[in-house]
Amino acid sequence: MPIPGLTIIGETINDSVPSTHKLFDADDIDGILEIAKMQEEKGAAYIDVNIGPRPAEFMADMVRKIQGVTARPLSIDTPDPAIAEAGLAAYDPERAGDEKPIVNSISALRAEMFDLYKIRPFKPILLVSENVVDGRSASCHTAQETFEAARQLVGTFLERCPGATNDDCIIDPGIAPLGSDSEGNIHRLVAAMELIHGDEFFAGCHASVGLSNFTVMLPPKRPDGSPVKGPLESAFLTKVMPLGLDMVIGSVKRKYDLLPPDHPAMACLEECLKLSGFDVLMRVREFYTS
Amino acid sequence: MSDYKELYDAILTGNAKKAEEVTKAALEAKADPTELVKKYMVPAMDEVGKRFECNEYFVPELLIAARAMKTSLEILTPLLAEAGAEPVGRVVIGTVQGDLHDIGKNLVASMLEGGGFQVIDLGVDVPPEKFVEVAKEKDGTILALSALLTTTMTMMKNVIEALEKAGVRKNTRVMIGGAPITQQYADEIGADGYSDNASAAVAMARKLA
Repeated sequence: MPIPGLTIIGETINDSVPSTHKLFDADDIDGILEIAKMQEEKGAAYIDVNIGPRPAEFMADMVRKIQGVTARPLSIDTPDPAIAEAGLAAYDPERAGDEKPIVNSISALRAEMFDLYKIRPFKPILLVSENVVDGRSASCHTAQETFEAARQLVGTFLERCPGATNDDCIIDPGIAPLGSDSEGNIHRLVAAMELIHGDEFFAGCHASVGLSNFTVMLPPKRPDGSPVKGPLESAFLTKVMPLGLDMVIGSVKRKYDLLPPDHPAMACLEECLKLSGFDVLMRVREFYTS
Repeated sequence: MSDYKELYDAILTGNAKKAEEVTKAALEAKADPTELVKKYMVPAMDEVGKRFECNEYFVPELLIAARAMKTSLEILTPLLAEAGAEPVGRVVIGTVQGDLHDIGKNLVASMLEGGGFQVIDLGVDVPPEKFVEVAKEKDGTILALSALLTTTMTMMKNVIEALEKAGVRKNTRVMIGGAPITQQYADEIGADGYSDNASAAVAMARKLA
């Protein structure tokens, strides 16, 4: 059962997924289309499309072909404006029940991508873990910096894209792997979500993360054979959904649940939020080795 | 020399406090710092790498072990320098211009330090001219370039071209890595090495040193 109120953007058509990369390299488009259909069947509300460093026209072709097999709206996933433009131009909103596509993602330094709104209105994933300092992109190290980057980027989007509303904004606070988080990223993210959630300026905005990134580089199973990644990702959702997170780019095969406080994964996450530095890594290791 | 297997074990299990204690005790007992590094510490990190390759260890274990190694090395480095011991090699690492992702880069830097390399970390969003500047400082420098985005990986080629233009390409080794990077891409841009994980990056750096 999916979690009520959680929209899943199916993540698998992505060139950085090794099995998908092989399909792209082998020009196995039927294989790609099967992934789209499978994700729709398993509950994806959007289908993400990331073609890697291939020509823009290939994105246009993929958008047409994927829309040929699914009526789900698409998430055009590229940092390259030319590829995003080709994907948006090829997108057929009617086929998707008049749903706007998502553009994944736009950061302050790529704000010119908002101009693609003229080609076709879209919902941007706004990457607010980065801001611009002295004309160059810089990572946000604190919750306050992240909050300010969010205000700035939502403001820029609404200003540059007439007709866009808060409902079109998908704020991505930037999730990092818990298994290498010795610098407090999870603390920053949770505190930033609290600030954003508590500010009327963001009323109606959505929030999303690339959830699989949270558990990347961790083992699949604990010694008793129980899974590691699904429960930790569920713990994250349990913690952050009350703070406004309502979308994830994630796996439709993963079993996401809201966890009780005494669940081992929930206890692990809550304790990590009280720890700092390498103690976080030690606590994560304790979770998957015990 | 006495047996300091405790030092090996402390690093292998990522016990930084124990590694520090054993290192200090070994020095008090007049142990040879070079021998401590060669006989116990580097083999411990090699074993960490092996366990990572066969999925017995994961990234938290790599980072925790590398920290334990670094704790001991910080105590030993001044003594090694006094004794004239050279690091395995000099690696200048950074994420290329336009890219702010540092998790993979930091992981590789930690493992290289653990592997006995002198590591100079230039951080993220590093312009080609900065890589050239530090490559010029010493022949035989290994540049380790990281990128996560398909839009920034092309900057790796710019770094190699900048090295050529500055006349330092011949005396510099370039290794690359990051999610979108492949061996094929490394070959295309003329990089000397590629690895797809932090443990393999140490082996590659040793090959290039």
